[in-house]
Amino acid sequence: MTVIECRGLTKVYGGAKALNNLSCKIEENKITGLIGRNGAGKTTLLKIIAGYLKETSGELNVFSENPFNNLLVSANVIFIHDQMNLPTSLNLKEILDTAASFYEKWDHDLANRLLEYFSLNPLQHHNGLSKGMKSTFNAILGLAARVPLTLFDEPTSGMDAAVRKDFYRALLKDYLAHPRTIIISSHHLNEIEDLLEDILLMKDGKELLHLPVADLKEWAIGLQGKTSVINEWTRNKEVIYTKSIGLDQSYVAVRNDFSEVEWQKARVAGLELTPVTSSDLCVYLTSKTKGGIDDVFN
Amino acid sequence: MILNLDGTKPIYVQISEWLENEILNGNVESEQKIYSQYQLAEIFNINPATAAKGLNILADEQILMKKRGLGMFVTSNAKEMILTKRKNQTLKRLVQEIVLEAGRLQVSKEELIDMIKTADIGEEEQ
Repeated sequence: MTVIECRGLTKVYGGAKALNNLSCKIEENKITGLIGRNGAGKTTLLKIIAGYLKETSGELNVFSENPFNNLLVSANVIFIHDQMNLPTSLNLKEILDTAASFYEKWDHDLANRLLEYFSLNPLQHHNGLSKGMKSTFNAILGLAARVPLTLFDEPTSGMDAAVRKDFYRALLKDYLAHPRTIIISSHHLNEIEDLLEDILLMKDGKELLHLPVADLKEWAIGLQGKTSVINEWTRNKEVIYTKSIGLDQSYVAVRNDFSEVEWQKARVAGLELTPVTSSDLCVYLTSKTKGGIDDVFN
Repeated sequence: MILNLDGTKPIYVQISEWLENEILNGNVESEQKIYSQYQLAEIFNINPATAAKGLNILADEQILMKKRGLGMFVTSNAKEMILTKRKNQTLKRLVQEIVLEAGRLQVSKEELIDMIKTADIGEEEQ
């Protein structure tokens, strides 16, 4: 079943297109990673899905309904982000107690155990928490709500490495026990990619790639060797990244459409073939210019 | 086992290799039920779809077989199949890499063969 379906989705903020004719589908009970550079439109997309913003044009269906001003969508979606407006007059325990009445499948026991595990004081107020503790508390809300569609917008910002690791593990365990549709946006693909089933890569408000994580790892391949040999081999290939090493060596990343025979030949020709990690690939694909930071200094 | 997460080998391939090792060293016998995708996801902290992909590789190679509603089971000749496969694929590829590196270092074939022989003896003496 498709949980989210958008066609030609566009959102304009004062002349700038945050989303530009975006079309995508998110299937039920998958964990999807939403990846993209700053300003790619990730947060805008999540806000529109959650019904916080209205699209400028295009079509969007969440559980087959437009999410804006929609009670069905509100009851079945939780959007966790770092600017959550939680009541300042309630302490953490009271916030959890209140949240329990909003969500049908809320797991109060889990919320309390997580609160204790992460050493959050139930009597403290949300606005008195440090950045990392705020993120931790928000993440607990997101997990315990156990809604059919959970949206996490950079949930781990400010968390220390140990908490991040625990959060990912908690997310996976709760997902295994209670499968649901989850979207996580993050700048740290290497940290979350093992949790994900699919990746949605965005650039300039558009969908650049949307595929299973396993396929992403084989999408490109890195070649290293003599520049002249590399040029020969990459003449008809889709080159996504080039870097020269030393005097006459180069490293290039190309679209991996090599056959097994070509691989062998390339190895024999003295090229070193290496996989391109998912996070490197995303950086290469979403870079604004062909060069890189080095060009600024040249 | 801890998975190698640096991206050089797809996780699902590592899962299928780990399962093969479990079968080779007798932790899971033939005709026995193997780990489910959810157990694997829990053990290795990975998405269950990735774990399923690892299981499916072995099912395609008939090292595992699916029993409807019951899960996946190790086939009777799984061990032999794994051994043959590793000889034909893994070992062949490693040999090719050694030959290539030897070429770069200008080590002759005879010299290389001698090195392999002495490496063997070294292992037996230990």
